Amino acid sequence: MVEESVELKRALDWVPGSGAVYSIVDYVAGWARKYSIWPMHFVTGCCGPEFMQTSGVEYDMERLGILPFASVRQCDCIMVIGVVSRKMAIRVKYLYEQMGEPKWVVSVGACPTGKGPFFDSYGAVPVDEYVPVDIYIPGCPPRPEAMIHGMMLLQDMIKNEKRIGVKRE
Amino acid sequence: MSSVNEAEFVDAISASHSESIESATILRSKRVSVVVKLEAILEVAEALRDEYGFKTPSAAGGVDYNREDRMQMIYYLFNPDSKITLTYRVDLPRDDPSLPTLTGIWEAMSFHEREAHEMFGIEFEGHSNMIPLLITPDWRGGYPLRKDFKGEAPAE
Amino acid sequence: MSEPTITPDIMRISWGPQHPMSGQTRILLDLDGEKIHKITADLGFTHRGMEKILENRTFLKGIIPIERMAMIDTPNIGIGYVMATEEVLGIEVPERANWIRSLVCEMSRISSHLYAFGLQVEATGFFPAVFLWTTADRVLLLDLLEELTGARFSYNFFLPGGVMKDLPEGFEDRVIEIVHYLRRRFKDYWTAMIENVLFEIRCNDVGILTPENAIRLGACGPVVRGSGQPIDVRRDEPYAAYADLDFDVITEPACDSMARTKVRFREIGESLKMMEQIANEIPGGPIRTRFPLFTRSKPGEAYSRVETARGEMGIHMFTNVGMNPYRVKINSPSLRHMYIFERLCELDRMTMADVPVVVNSLDVWYLDADR
Repeated sequence: MVEESVELKRALDWVPGSGAVYSIVDYVAGWARKYSIWPMHFVTGCCGPEFMQTSGVEYDMERLGILPFASVRQCDCIMVIGVVSRKMAIRVKYLYEQMGEPKWVVSVGACPTGKGPFFDSYGAVPVDEYVPVDIYIPGCPPRPEAMIHGMMLLQDMIKNEKRIGVKRE
Repeated sequence: MSSVNEAEFVDAISASHSESIESATILRSKRVSVVVKLEAILEVAEALRDEYGFKTPSAAGGVDYNREDRMQMIYYLFNPDSKITLTYRVDLPRDDPSLPTLTGIWEAMSFHEREAHEMFGIEFEGHSNMIPLLITPDWRGGYPLRKDFKGEAPAE
Repeated sequence: MSEPTITPDIMRISWGPQHPMSGQTRILLDLDGEKIHKITADLGFTHRGMEKILENRTFLKGIIPIERMAMIDTPNIGIGYVMATEEVLGIEVPERANWIRSLVCEMSRISSHLYAFGLQVEATGFFPAVFLWTTADRVLLLDLLEELTGARFSYNFFLPGGVMKDLPEGFEDRVIEIVHYLRRRFKDYWTAMIENVLFEIRCNDVGILTPENAIRLGACGPVVRGSGQPIDVRRDEPYAAYADLDFDVITEPACDSMARTKVRFREIGESLKMMEQIANEIPGGPIRTRFPLFTRSKPGEAYSRVETARGEMGIHMFTNVGMNPYRVKINSPSLRHMYIFERLCELDRMTMADVPVVVNSLDVWYLDADR
C-alpha cells in the first residue's frame, strides 16, 4: 500500500502534463479495482455463518462485486472471518505472502481484532501481530449491514490509492 | 446384563469387583460414577464393556486438584440399551500421572487421551499415536489446563 | 505431523484450512490412485481454550463464550451450560420458561439442519443454488428469533432460572405462519434433491457405518440414528419441555450417507411439529426465578446432556466454594465423529469423490471439535 504523505515519484514524471494523465488512469484503475474485490474463501472461526448469510439472498454482497474465490493467487483480499488460533495465524501469514499485489486484509469480527470474548485465552491471537490489517469490522458477529459498510470503506480506500507507475526506491 | 437400572448396576459391580473399585455411587437418575484403583483399571474396564454393556465411549478428560496433590482422569461411557451414563474415574498422583491406555478396550478414546496428555501432562502407556491434537506441535508453554498454568507464551 | 511414507503408490494430499469446502481443518488424505488409503485429521485450527476460559468467568458470564462454540446452533449449547449451572446451584425453572426454551432450541435446530443440508449439496458438486435457497428460508427463522431475542446468531437468551424476555404480542401466530410455509418448502427440497437421481448416485452406499461400528466407535445424534439406532437425548432424558411434546425419533435403516442426510432432513419435519404444538399450547406463568447476580457455589458437580443438531453434547461442571466453576469439561459430538471419519476409509471403500459427501453427511463443525 502506498502512503499519501510521501512524495510520489512516478515513472513518467519527466513528461510535462503527466500528472493529469495519471489522475485519469488512477481514477479508472481505482474504479475497476474497487468493484471487483475478490476475497479468498477463508473462514477461520465462528463468524463464518454470518458471512455466508451476508453473501446470501437478503443482503447480497455479490452486487458490490465481492465474490469469494478459491485460489489464493487469483484473489486480492483476505477476509479473516472469526477467531484466529496460533495454528491458523501462521497459515494466514503464508497466504498473505502468496497473494499478488495489490492486496488488502480485512479483519471481520471482534476476535481477530483483539480476541473478542476470549480475551484471556492462550489459544487465540489478534491477527494484526501476523499480517498488516487495513479494515477492522467489529461485532460478535457483525451485523450484515456492518460488514457491507466495512467493505464499502475498503472500496473508498481503494479508490483513492495511487499505484500505477509508482517507482519504488 | 445390559438393560439394568442404576441401583442394580451399582450393587452388581460392588459385589463382583469389590477389591478393585473404591466406590460406586448413583449421582442422580441415569448418572452413575465408579472410582477404580489404578492397578485394576483395565480389568474393570473390560467387565464394564462386556458384562455391563457400556459399549459407547463418549469422551475422556481430567481434573486437576492441585490443593489435594492429585489429578483425576475421567472416562465418560454410555450404555445404549439402558441409556445410563457412567463416569469412570481414577485418581493419579500429581507429580507423575501415568496410567495404561484404554484404547485397547474402547478404540475411540484415542483422540481424548491425546488431548488429556497435552492439556494435563498425563502419560498413557501403550498409546500408539501420542502427538498433539489441538495445540501447535512446537508449543513450549506448559500444560494449559493445570491450575498453575500462568498463560505462558509458546516458543516462537 | 508424522512424516509421510514415500512409496511409489501412495500420494499424500493436504486438504488444508484454506479451501472452499474443507471447513477450518486440515485433513491429510493418502491416496492410491483414486482410492483412499488412510485419512489423518489435523484438528486445532480454531482452538480457543474454552475450558480454561470458563474457569475465569462467573456462572452468568460463562454463557457468553460457551455459546460461541458452534455459532450455527447456539441455543442448544447454551441450554446445556445453563442446565448444569441450575443443577449445581439448585435452581428451579418455571414451566413457561421451559416451553420457550424448547421453542428457541427447535427453531435453531431447523436453521442448523438447513445450513448443513445446503453445504452438503454444495459439496457434492451442485452449484450453490440449494445453499442460497436455504439462506433464504433461514432468513425467516432468523428474523423471528431477532424479534424475540435481539440477535441473529448468538442469542445468550437463557439464564440460570429461566429466559430473559417473554414472547412478544402475536408471536405465536407468526410462528404458525412460518411452520406452514416451511412445510411447503420441505416438499420442494425433497423432490428437488433427495429424490434426485444424481444426488442418489453420489450418496447411496457411500460411507457405510454398520450399527455395531456406530455404537462401538461412539457415534451420536443423526449419525447413530442413520444407522438405525433410536438414541436421542430428548427422548431418553427429557429436558426443557420435551417430556410434554409429541414427536418421533427418526431413524433410517440404510446406514449410508444418504440415510444420515435423510434423518437430518426428516427431523426438520418433527421440529416443525413441535414448534406448532408449542405455539398452540404454551402455558402461562412467570418466565424466570430470581438468580442473584453474585452467587457463591458449594462443592459439587453436575453433568448435563443435551441434543444439539450435531449430536449429544455433555457439560460436566465441577464447583468448589467460589464465584466461578472449578472445572468445566465439554464433550462435543464433532470430536467423536471426526474419529469415525478417520476410520471410515478402513471400514468401507472410499474414493476421492466420496470424501466431501461423507464428511458433510457426518456434519462435523470444527469449532465444536476444537473448543
